Amino acid sequence: MLEVRELTVCAGTFRLREVSLRVEPGRCHAVLGPSGCGKTTLLHGVLGLRPVESGSVTLNGREITRWPVERRGMGYVPQELGLFPHLTVRENIRYGLEARGCRGAEWERWMEELVDVTGLGGLLDRRPNQLSGGERQRVALVRALAFRPKLVLLDEPFAALNESLRRELWWLLRTLQHRHGLTVLLVTHDLAEAYVLADRVTVLLEGRVIQQGDKAAVYGRPAAPAVAQFLGVETLQPGRVLAAGQGLVTVEVGRARLQALGDAQPGESVLVSIRAEDVLLAGEAGGGSSARNRLPARVLRVDPGHPLWRVELDAGFPLTALVTRPACEELGLAPGQSVQAWIKAPAVHLIRAEACGRGESGLFRTGGRALLSRGPEG
Amino acid sequence: MMNDAGIGGSPSDRERPGSQGRRSFAPTVLAAWAVLVVYAGLIAAALTFVEPGGLRSVLSSPRTWYSVRLSLAAATAASVLGLLCALPAGYALSRHRFRGRGWVETVLELPMVVSPAALGAMLLMAFSHPAGQWLQEHGVRFVFTVAGVVLAQFVTVLGMMVRLAKTAFDGVPVELETVARTLGASPARVFRTVTLPLARRELAAALVLGWAKALGEFGATIMIAGTMAMRTETLPIAVYLRLSAADLPGAAALIVLLVIAGLGALICVRWLSGGRSHA
Repeated sequence: MLEVRELTVCAGTFRLREVSLRVEPGRCHAVLGPSGCGKTTLLHGVLGLRPVESGSVTLNGREITRWPVERRGMGYVPQELGLFPHLTVRENIRYGLEARGCRGAEWERWMEELVDVTGLGGLLDRRPNQLSGGERQRVALVRALAFRPKLVLLDEPFAALNESLRRELWWLLRTLQHRHGLTVLLVTHDLAEAYVLADRVTVLLEGRVIQQGDKAAVYGRPAAPAVAQFLGVETLQPGRVLAAGQGLVTVEVGRARLQALGDAQPGESVLVSIRAEDVLLAGEAGGGSSARNRLPARVLRVDPGHPLWRVELDAGFPLTALVTRPACEELGLAPGQSVQAWIKAPAVHLIRAEACGRGESGLFRTGGRALLSRGPEG
Repeated sequence: MMNDAGIGGSPSDRERPGSQGRRSFAPTVLAAWAVLVVYAGLIAAALTFVEPGGLRSVLSSPRTWYSVRLSLAAATAASVLGLLCALPAGYALSRHRFRGRGWVETVLELPMVVSPAALGAMLLMAFSHPAGQWLQEHGVRFVFTVAGVVLAQFVTVLGMMVRLAKTAFDGVPVELETVARTLGASPARVFRTVTLPLARRELAAALVLGWAKALGEFGATIMIAGTMAMRTETLPIAVYLRLSAADLPGAAALIVLLVIAGLGALICVRWLSGGRSHA
């Protein structure tokens, strides 16, 4: 188990401030954030590549904050992979075993298994410059896993690959992780990657932890406007609480009223965050639905996309929905058409102004205004 | 993946807009040729003075062969010593930010801008100080000795070799060393198994260049070691002595030897830095 407590790391003019996180054994934890948010600095602090200003790093109950890199027993795959160009694949993946003096039949069996699972068997005598991108990635992964590290650190490991190769490697990493109970700390700016691989997520913005928790909770219920913006929440609108009680909140957004779960004070300003895939579209006549919010809406624009089509609506406020192509055709969606937008109350997430923390009320305002002023053209 | 043909190689290896696929010929090419003409002309001028008789007398003289042996041995010793110092110093300059780093980098250029004669004179002055004299009496004698020849060459080539070693280490990505450390290798092991093998061609080139420069060293050597026949007479000094004695054929013959060694070294360096086995 990795435990990072209030870690402050200085990297030039940039400073990572009091970051705390914990990776349970056998779990994958993703640190998510845009480039320049301090993700790599955090990894370097954990690895011991940068001096720690304050705070501590504990691995399996042992404080290792000031230990030298080579004694920490962490497997590391950097963004550029760092394959040794002068060594063959075999020499690359055995480097850690040689350096640590791991010898014996048990290690050989483990190496064979790793090579088998990753399909590197036929490439062992090649050099890194004779490998494809996906193969290089596998070699780097196997090399980091070969000495059975207590923790595996991955820095945007699959960023350079195309979509299908990336998915294949995600699957491979997940298989390895589950089969061998690997503890993984992953750093990425890719939402999909974090969602597929991680159990828990830490959102890092400008060197600070903004939100931490189960990936579904972070994804669906961003704690701050900056998180919502980074996660690409499609509908983010300022609103005012009209009434609250029994866990149900009524919010006025533009000309519409929405019901949401949660608690807030009447009169309070909030930001309403709705993921586009939670918006269901129905014909004007409508039908039976348990959704609490049924908003009459006018279609402003339909963007064909893959795999889902994006529909911009005026529902009293700008609202975005994602629908499948068949659904789009069935409803005959076209600009100017009237439809009903159904949104279940739990899908309407409220970000409270107080929850936005120090120095972020600005983000709160600009976030809202920017989205308000955004016309049908987006 | 990027197209490998598009990157790497010097600009002149690539097709450039405007050249329309032809071999480019610009007025600047004339200047480049002029450089060749200058040096080829100099060599040709020396060759015109080579005559069979002079060549034979030079090649049969034990004094010449002493100079050849002394030059080869001293240049080898000076460049190997230089490399031994350049390895740690170049590595430190490439990898670490430390107090006085800027000064060290500036001083590396000193032998290049201060005349070698001045450098040799400074050595001589250093050894006339009490501390220098003590070293002469209780350690190695440098003034007018072979050790002085080696020292003069060492001092002249050290700066350049440190700079070349730094450049060689700069070419090894720090990240590879980082990864090796995470894999459990100690810094010494990382240096031996990752840094050194990846920099070895450039380091070899540094050694050859240092050797060639030491071989041709004249100013500093003559200051501290003098011109003693069969003692401290290196090839460049032999050229100087024969020229002073108006023995042009003899000087030309020695120059041929020097040019052959120098060109050989340069071809060796081109081969070392040109054909990279990996990267």
